[in-house]
Amino acid sequence: MAPDVVSLDAVRKAYRLADQPFWALKGVTFTVTAGEMMALMGPSGSGKTTLMNIIGLLDSPTDGRYRLNGEDVSHLSEFDRAVLRNRTIGFVFQAFHLLPRLSVVENVETPLTYGGYPRRARRRRALEMLDRVGLADKAGTLPATLSGGERQRVAVARALATSPTLLLADEPTGNLDTRTGNEIIALFHQLNNEGATIMVVTHEPDIAEQTARTVRVRDGLMEADEKHVAVRPAPASAQDDAGADRRDHGAS
Amino acid sequence: MARPRHRSQRAVREPAPVRAPEHPRGSLDPLEIVLIAFRSLRSNLMRSALTTLGVVIGVAAVVALTAAGSGVNASVTERITSLGSNLLTITGAGRQAGNRVRGAPPNSVTLADAQAIQALDDPRIQGIAPQVQINLAVQHGANTSYATVVGTWPDYQSVRNTTVSEGTFFTQADDNADRLVAVLGYQVAQDLFGGSQRALGQSVLINDLAFDVIGVLPDKGNTGFMSPNSQVLIPLTTFVTRVHRDSPTGTPTMSAVYVQGSSASALSGLQQDLTTLIASRHRQTDPTNYDFRILNQADQLATLNSVTGTLTLFLGSIAGISLLVGGIGIMNIMLVSVTERTREIGVRKALGAKPRDILAQFLLEATMLSVGGGVLGILVGIGLGGIAGHALSVPSRIMPQSIVIAFVFAAAVGIFFGLYPAQRAARLDPVESLRYE
Repeated sequence: MAPDVVSLDAVRKAYRLADQPFWALKGVTFTVTAGEMMALMGPSGSGKTTLMNIIGLLDSPTDGRYRLNGEDVSHLSEFDRAVLRNRTIGFVFQAFHLLPRLSVVENVETPLTYGGYPRRARRRRALEMLDRVGLADKAGTLPATLSGGERQRVAVARALATSPTLLLADEPTGNLDTRTGNEIIALFHQLNNEGATIMVVTHEPDIAEQTARTVRVRDGLMEADEKHVAVRPAPASAQDDAGADRRDHGAS
Repeated sequence: MARPRHRSQRAVREPAPVRAPEHPRGSLDPLEIVLIAFRSLRSNLMRSALTTLGVVIGVAAVVALTAAGSGVNASVTERITSLGSNLLTITGAGRQAGNRVRGAPPNSVTLADAQAIQALDDPRIQGIAPQVQINLAVQHGANTSYATVVGTWPDYQSVRNTTVSEGTFFTQADDNADRLVAVLGYQVAQDLFGGSQRALGQSVLINDLAFDVIGVLPDKGNTGFMSPNSQVLIPLTTFVTRVHRDSPTGTPTMSAVYVQGSSASALSGLQQDLTTLIASRHRQTDPTNYDFRILNQADQLATLNSVTGTLTLFLGSIAGISLLVGGIGIMNIMLVSVTERTREIGVRKALGAKPRDILAQFLLEATMLSVGGGVLGILVGIGLGGIAGHALSVPSRIMPQSIVIAFVFAAAVGIFFGLYPAQRAARLDPVESLRYE
């Protein structure tokens, strides 16, 4: 039995709106075990972003318990969350969020820099990760010269750099066309096959179908926790012939 | 709070295909923050340069203006001491050295006073030069020069720091024998003979008396009426017995008596003793209303220094205000920059930047701007000081302490005005800033 990476127990989160507490999460309980690849689904306003922020240590729950790798992280200071985030969470964002003035390899190095890795180890690791996503030849270029799909692969390389225990992808295909989106999902499957634990936050059923498990939230509550057979995407060429990478989506 | 056990899954499945090296330090290398800050400034070069400009101008102004101020001070001090050092100047009350003899009250400083001082034979006295003067036409052939004819003692050379460039000065023997010998100022020699060398051995007419020119003074740089270049020096006895008799009481009045002390420290005591001496000679009883006065050169210099020191401080403070304005410019730009880069800050935080990493980055950016501006400003200030010195023909003196103060102040301005924007950046909520468009 694989250990739990994420373990949520009655997690609630309140925001203060006009002096009235607004409960974005009203008690969510589920676990993610190591090596799992799952989708977190829900319409906008369902609380799935709040949930992702808490799981990603960007935010703290109001009450309830969140254990990450068996350790209670519900009430960490911002400093400790930053350290832990750096070591255990790899983020992939919808808008890629690459740092525009840094080269591709420097972008991948950034989490290693904040982790205090020495320069040479950092560069070696970053180049390995770029090679892993098939972009070793783009190491020295600026993100602005890359297509959307390439940018997202750089973001995946960056997320993997510190070998986090959880890869957290927030609408990773939202700014990509279907074909490039499927390439990213295929990359996730590959990483998952090699042992990575991956949580994909999405509102697209297509994406959720491709994972073995889907957790649905609605109105701050967990609506369903479905385990199903993952439907792997068909080869990219059959899906969308005209689907060249959309460079114009490249707000990084 | 327990530190995260980030490798707790080691035994199970590898989370990623290639293991990252162990975390050696777990926190950002300070040098890396410097690099991050530097690159971020470089990537917005135009803005960085313009922001720095405020500090450059402020620091340059501090350095240049204090240099000008201390240059003025140095040049005035030099002028005063060039007229003789450690001087006490005794004059009649209500008149300064250099006033005309004509119409002087009979009880002002007299030759007899000077002789009484000489009779003291005080070891603190290095020289005594009474001086009496009158403006007269000095002629040679068809040439006329209007000069200040000064009667004095041979000590004048050392007391007033005056040496001849050609020939010799008159001696005590010349004075005792009231000989008709003259030492011409540079301009007088030019006017009458067209050159210092040519004047030697010639004679000039003063009050229809033919004087032999035995010496010529060097060019003192100043021209015009009352300047040392327009003087003619003759023995005092010659002056009072043959050129200008004005003494109904038998002892001629002096426009001034210069007494040179052996050292600056002896000056104050000497001043008191001479005051007592002359007061009793003049039968003066009211110290607040003596008919003479003794000026102490050290006091004059101190007064002058305090005036120019205040001036320098005043100029420096005005320049300091512009430095402060430069600092506010930095804060302004840093605030804009933090807002503009909200999302970058969010991304950096998501990737593991701690609040203090972000604080350090923005604080360093502000400090680099101000320190860079400080260094540039010092260079510009030194250049400006030199140019201004040339233009105003006042030697500017760069004060090392003004450079240090300006630099430290600039750095402090950067840290002070950078702190608030940097704290704002550090406190940004990562969730909010990631969403920021």
